[in-house]
Amino acid sequence: MRERYPPRRSLSRTVLARVFLRSLFLQASWNPQGMQNLGLAYALSPALDALYPEPERRLVAVRRHLVFFNTHPYVAAAIVGGVLFHEERIACGEESPELVVKFKSALMGPLAALGDGFFWLSLKPAVGAFCAALVPWLGAKAAVLFLVLYNVVHLTLRARLYLMGLALGDQLVVAVGKARLPTRGARLRAVAAASSGGLAAWLAMSFGMQEGGRVGAMLAFGCLVMGGLCYWLVVQRLPNFAVLYLAALLAGVVGAFI
Amino acid sequence: MPAALHQVLLAGAWGGLLALERRAFLQAMFSRPLVAATVMGLIFDDLPAGLHVGMLLELFHLGSANLGAALPEHDTLAATGTSAAAACMAHGSGAGSTPAIWSLSILLFIGLGHFGRMLDRSLEGYSTRLSQRALAFAEQGELHRAVRQNLWGMWPHFLLFAVATSACALLGALLSPVVEGLPLRALRGLAWAYPAMASVAAAIAARGSHAKRASLFAGAAAVAVTVFTVVFTWVRA
Repeated sequence: MRERYPPRRSLSRTVLARVFLRSLFLQASWNPQGMQNLGLAYALSPALDALYPEPERRLVAVRRHLVFFNTHPYVAAAIVGGVLFHEERIACGEESPELVVKFKSALMGPLAALGDGFFWLSLKPAVGAFCAALVPWLGAKAAVLFLVLYNVVHLTLRARLYLMGLALGDQLVVAVGKARLPTRGARLRAVAAASSGGLAAWLAMSFGMQEGGRVGAMLAFGCLVMGGLCYWLVVQRLPNFAVLYLAALLAGVVGAFI
Repeated sequence: MPAALHQVLLAGAWGGLLALERRAFLQAMFSRPLVAATVMGLIFDDLPAGLHVGMLLELFHLGSANLGAALPEHDTLAATGTSAAAACMAHGSGAGSTPAIWSLSILLFIGLGHFGRMLDRSLEGYSTRLSQRALAFAEQGELHRAVRQNLWGMWPHFLLFAVATSACALLGALLSPVVEGLPLRALRGLAWAYPAMASVAAAIAARGSHAKRASLFAGAAAVAVTVFTVVFTWVRA
């Protein structure tokens, strides 16, 4: 006999907001075995409670989200939204539960790569280097600027991805593709490199200017050469720590005996 | 004047909260060295120490990222611990915040990044047990109890990193007599080490930017800044 399902229920705004807020705790109990599995089940819990009033069906729904899950924590918002899109349809029998499992496993890898590339390897270094470069002029305001610049992009994208997942389901892949995150990431990485180079030069020059005269000019030049040399040493895979200690030793000895 | 007990406790709370923010909740980058250390400086009433330590460590750790299951060095503990130690050293020695003290604390405490990573690793077993317990609760039909296990993963992080940060502050205070006893020549050497390290950290950051032609972008910006500074100084003179 065919199972009888209730008509499709849309999740209320309160439930959707609760799921989004809970998704911010996605990594609270990150573990090597299931990675973000517990975080995902925790985030989805209010929606599953609303969609499955029957305890047996709710149990099955929770258990299908307690399996291995790992992606970028920001971009996970898109998957969480997409899971709700599918769960609404599964709850009323329009879709098979396998679809949501396939949706998660198909998207978590590619979206993790996209999120890592854009947020961790592009936006974070770019904003970090840019704001660190402004410390000599802005002081503590540079730290505030860092938070503002980073989070305008982070929170906007996180919320948008969640809404896209909710509205589009599987089609969110096309919409994410249109955002051209890899291209924008490459530009941001160039900003990071330029900011770092500019700051290295500024620090060397200001160090020289503090001493003044010929000694100051020599110090600035020496510091610039050391920055270039250290860059080369890091490219040659000398550990960053070794390079930093080497520079401190060299400058310390010169400072102590001049 | 030495740092007060309430400042040490507050520093611990800030260090613990940031450890959570970095891994468990939100990840809005309050835990980045530039922000974490600057606020630590404010807690100890020594903004210059926090800001300068934070700037250097931000650059030093710019390229690190939490990719997949790989754990990077704990740049947050490095920043909070180093800046707390620097501020406490400055308070204790009574000499005020100087580049020599910033250099000394960076050289002594920068290894905290490794230590923080070890702490993170040591907590993974606990989180795995929580996940297994959640599955067991789900099997028994206790769904709310199962999903709430997620939140229990946070408290050991808070506690361990709070204790570690407070310990760094205390260690800084204990080291202040050593700073007082340093000969002038050593202090001058340490003072020179700070700008050199900052400049080198910026060069390391250029490499950590992951840009395809990082050397080109960094080099062009360095040349532009150098030429501009030289011309500006010459015109002013």
